[in-house]
Amino acid sequence: MSNAETTRAPFDPAVLFKALFLGLIAIFVLVPLLATLLGGFKSLGELRVNPFGWPKHWEWQNYADILFSARYWQLLRNSLIISTLAVTLTLITASMAAFTFAHIKFYGSSALLSYLTLGLLFPAATAVLPLFIKVRDLGLLDTYFGVALPQVAFSLAMSVLLLRRFFKDIPYELLEAALVDGCSYIKFFRYVTLPLSRPILATVGTITFVNSWNAYLLPLVMLNTDALYPWPLGIMVYQGEYSSEWHLILAFITLTILPTIILFLLAQKHIVAGLTAGAVKG
Amino acid sequence: MARHTASSPAMGTTQTSFASLAVRGPSWDGRFTVLILFLPPALLLFTLFVVLPIGEAAWYSAFNWNGFGKPTNWIGFDNYRFVLETRAFWLALRNNGLIIAVSLAIQLPLALTLALMLAEKFRGAVALRMLFFMPYILAEIATGLIFSFVYDGDYGLVASIWRSFGAEPPHLLASTDTSMMAVLIVIVWKYFGFHMMLFIAALQSLDKSLIEAARIDGATRAQTLRHVVIPLLYPTIRLSVFFAIIGSLQLFDLVMPLTRGGPADSSNTMVSFLYNNGISRMRVGYGSAIGVILFVICVTFAFTYKRWFMRDE
Amino acid sequence: MRLLGKLGLAAAACLLWANSASADTTVKWLHIEANPAQVKIWEEVARAYEAGHPGVKVEMQFLENEAYKAKLPTILQSKDRPNIIYSWAGGVLKAQIEAGVLDDITESVKGYSDSLTPAALAAFTSNGKIYGLPTALSQVGFLCNKELMAKAKVDPSAIKTWDDLLAAVKTLKAAGVTPIVVGGADKWPLHFYWTHLAVRVGGKPAFDAALKGENGGFAGETFQKSGELFKQLVDLQPFQNGFLGFKNPQAVGYFGDGKAAMTLAISTVYHLQRALAADKVGLSEDKICWFDFPVVAGGKGAPTDTLGGITGWLVTKGSPREAVDFLKYFVSKDVQTRLAAGNFIIPVVQGADAGLNNSFMKLIAANLAKSNYHQNFYDQSLGPSVGRVVNDVTAEIAGGSMSPQDAAKAIEAAWKQGN
Repeated sequence: MSNAETTRAPFDPAVLFKALFLGLIAIFVLVPLLATLLGGFKSLGELRVNPFGWPKHWEWQNYADILFSARYWQLLRNSLIISTLAVTLTLITASMAAFTFAHIKFYGSSALLSYLTLGLLFPAATAVLPLFIKVRDLGLLDTYFGVALPQVAFSLAMSVLLLRRFFKDIPYELLEAALVDGCSYIKFFRYVTLPLSRPILATVGTITFVNSWNAYLLPLVMLNTDALYPWPLGIMVYQGEYSSEWHLILAFITLTILPTIILFLLAQKHIVAGLTAGAVKG
Repeated sequence: MARHTASSPAMGTTQTSFASLAVRGPSWDGRFTVLILFLPPALLLFTLFVVLPIGEAAWYSAFNWNGFGKPTNWIGFDNYRFVLETRAFWLALRNNGLIIAVSLAIQLPLALTLALMLAEKFRGAVALRMLFFMPYILAEIATGLIFSFVYDGDYGLVASIWRSFGAEPPHLLASTDTSMMAVLIVIVWKYFGFHMMLFIAALQSLDKSLIEAARIDGATRAQTLRHVVIPLLYPTIRLSVFFAIIGSLQLFDLVMPLTRGGPADSSNTMVSFLYNNGISRMRVGYGSAIGVILFVICVTFAFTYKRWFMRDE
Repeated sequence: MRLLGKLGLAAAACLLWANSASADTTVKWLHIEANPAQVKIWEEVARAYEAGHPGVKVEMQFLENEAYKAKLPTILQSKDRPNIIYSWAGGVLKAQIEAGVLDDITESVKGYSDSLTPAALAAFTSNGKIYGLPTALSQVGFLCNKELMAKAKVDPSAIKTWDDLLAAVKTLKAAGVTPIVVGGADKWPLHFYWTHLAVRVGGKPAFDAALKGENGGFAGETFQKSGELFKQLVDLQPFQNGFLGFKNPQAVGYFGDGKAAMTLAISTVYHLQRALAADKVGLSEDKICWFDFPVVAGGKGAPTDTLGGITGWLVTKGSPREAVDFLKYFVSKDVQTRLAAGNFIIPVVQGADAGLNNSFMKLIAANLAKSNYHQNFYDQSLGPSVGRVVNDVTAEIAGGSMSPQDAAKAIEAAWKQGN
C-alpha cells in the first residue's frame, strides 16, 4: 500500500501482535473442521480420550462404509437434482424477466420491478405454512419440484436485480443495430445478451446453487420420503439414528461437506466474488 | 392466444401495457412478444410461491386450523394473542436481539479488524482470507452438527479441554444458561468471514489517493484509519449491519442440529419457534400468525433501515 | 391441440402407472422401532406375508420417534403417504380421524377383531368405528441397575412412596452414583413424571374432571400438586449432567451403559437399552430391577393404576385392501406369540401372552391386568398440540424456568385454546 509498510522494522511488535491475532483466529476456524475430519478416522473409544490429536489407529472403515453405501450417493444425487433444477429454472426465468425490465419500456415496468423486489425483504420461513398448503394443493408435496419451485421463486428477486443491472450495461446501440438488421428481441436475447452475460449468469447460478444445496427448511417441510431427501435432511436423520456414535457422524459430516469444500477450493475466487457481489449489489 | 393467457391473473398488467405500447412505437409487436413470453414465468412463480402465501398467512392466521380440509373455525385475532402470550415467543425475540447485538459488538469489529489486516498484500494473506471465508459456504446444518460435537459433554472438544484441567465437563447446549451463548459463538464462527470479505472488497475499491494524502499530511496510521478509512467504509458497515439483522431474523438451520431451540426454548430464534410451535404441530393458524409477525418485523425493519441509514445508496 | 395431445399422453401415462400399481401392490409401512432385534422379526413376518400373497410387496420405512411425531402431520397430507402408520391412540388419533386421513376398517376386521383384548381395541375405536389395530401394551415405571443400587445400599423393592424415592435419590447422590437418567431434550420422557404423579395424586376422577373443565381443569389442584412434587425431585438434581440435552435414545443408551441407577421409562426399554448401549450388549436381565411408580401420601389414585401406552397401527385413507389384510396377519396370535416370546411386547391378542417367558414381562402383563385405570400418555391422549404443551412445560419445570403453578395454567390455557 505504501512505502512505510514495506520497509517495516524487523521486530515490530505490531507485526507480532498481528501474526498472533491472525494465528488465533485461524486456529478458531480450523480446529473444529480438522477435529471433524480426523474424528471420522477414530474409534468411538479413542474419540473420547483423544478428540483433538492425530488418530493413533486409522479407522478407514468409517469412511469406506459410508462411501460404499447407497445412502450417501443417493443423498448427494437428490441434492444435485434439486439444486440443478433450481439453478436452471432461476437462470431461465430470471434472465428473461431481467431482459424485459432492462430493454423494454412499458407502462408499469418499475412498479412490477418493485413488486419483485419485495422478495428481498422477508425470508421464506415467514410464509412456510401457507407455502406448504399451496405445494400440497398443487400436488407437489414429496417431489423435487415441490422444493425447487419455491426456491426459484425466492431467489428471483435478487437474481432479476443482478441480471437487469448487467443487461442494462450492454450498449443500447448494439440492440438498436440488431433490431434494424431485422434481428428480433428474442434472437438478440439468445445470441447476444446471454453469451455476453456469462460472468453474471455464473454469479447468479453460484448463489442459487449454494443456497439450494445447503437448504434445510423447505425440504424438511416439503419432503417425506427419505428416498428423496437432500443431504442436509439425510445427515440429520443419520445423526438421529446413530445418536452418540460420533465417529460415524463425523465421518458422514466430512463426506457430505467435502463436495462443497472441493468446489470452493477449485473456484474460490469466483464463489467469493459471486457471493459477496450478490450481497452488495442486491 | 391472447384470450387464453388473459385467464391467468398475473397477465392483468401486461394487458394494460399492451394498450400503452400500441401508441408508443412501431416495433411494439416484437416487444409485446417479449413481454408476453418473458415476464409471466417469473411473475407467476413469484406470485404463486412468495406473494400469495404471505397473503394467505394473514388469512389463515384468523383460524384455528390443523391444515386438513378447509379452514372453518374463525377465531379472529386470537392466534396473535396466543402467540404474544407464549413465553417462548418473547424468548425467541430476545434471542434474535442477542444475535444482532453480538453481530454488532463482536462480529463486526472482528471482521473489520481482520479485513484491515488482510487487505494488505503479504504472504499467506489470500490463503487466510479463504480460510476465514470457508465457514460461510458450509451448510448451516453441517456447521451445527460439527459444533454439537465440539460442545458435546462426553466426546466433545470442550469437554476434553475441561477434563484435562480435571474439571467436570459442562453440557453447554443442555443448560438454559449457556445454550444461547454457545449458539452465538457458532454464529460468529460461521459468519465473520463473510462480513470480512465485504470489507475487503470495499477496501480494495477505496480511492487510495485519499489515504496517501492523509499520510503525506502527517497523519499516523491510527489517525488515517479513524478519520479516513472508516468513514469511507460507512456504506459497507451499514450493509454489513443490514445483513447481520436480516440473517438473525431468518436463522433456523443452525439452531436445529445444535439445540432445536431448547432446552426449555432458551435458544429458539423466531423461525425455530415458528417451526417448533407451528409447523411440527400443524397449527396452521397459530404458525401463520407467527409468520405474519415475523413478516411485519422484517418489512418494517427493511424500510426504516433503508430510509434512515441507506439513503445515499 | 398440442396441449390436448400432451394432456392425453399424461392421462395415458397415469393409467399405465395405475395399472402397474394394482398389478403389484405395495403396502408402505412406516414404523419407529429402534430395536433391530424386533425389526428383524417384523421383516421376517413381512417377507412371509409376501410369500403367501404374490403380487403384494410390504415396504418398511423407518423414522426416529421424535422425527416421526414432528413429521407426521405433514406426512399425512402428502398424496404419497404410507399406508400403515404407528399410533399411540388417544387425542392424536382422534384429531386424525376428524381430519379424515384414516380409513374406517370396521368391516374388514369383522370377526377377527374379537380375538383382541377389548380394552386395547377400544382405544382404536371411535363412535363404534375401528380405525386401527392395537399391537402392544406397555407400562411406565422405574427400571433400575441392581449393581449401582447395591453400591449405594438402596433397596429398590423398598421404594414405595414418593418420599422413599426422594430419599433414594439423596442416598445415591451421596454415594457418588448418578441417580436418574432422562432424555430431557425430547421432553416427553420428563412428562412421564408429571403425568404419573397426576395419576397418583388425583386418580381417574381428576383426569376426567379436568377434561370436562371441572375443578379448575388442568390448572386445578391435582395438577399443581403434581408439578410441585415433581419440582421436589428436580430440586435434588437427580438427573445426569446435561440431561436437557439428551435425546431419549441417548438416555436409554446411558442407562444401558450402566452409568445411572434408575430411569423412568416405558417397559420396552428393558430390551431397548441393549440395542442402544455403546457396546450393543447393555445390561443383562439379572442386572436390571424394576419398581412401580411410587405412591403419593394422601393421593386419591390406586397403587394399581398404571400409566403407559396402548400402541398400534392405523391405516391411512385410500390405502389398498392389502394394507388391512397385512395388518390382520401381523397382529395375529402366531406373530404376537412370537413377539411375546422375544419379550418385545405385552401382546393384545388373547392367548398370545402364553408366549411370555420372562419374569419381567410377566410382571408387567400382570400389572396391566390388575390395573383398573390405565392412563395413556398425556402427550398423546390430550391431542397433538395440547400434548406438546404438556411436554414443553414439564421440561420447563425440570429446567427450573417455570413454576408448577404456571405450568398447570399453561396446560389449561392450551386445553381451552383447543387443539
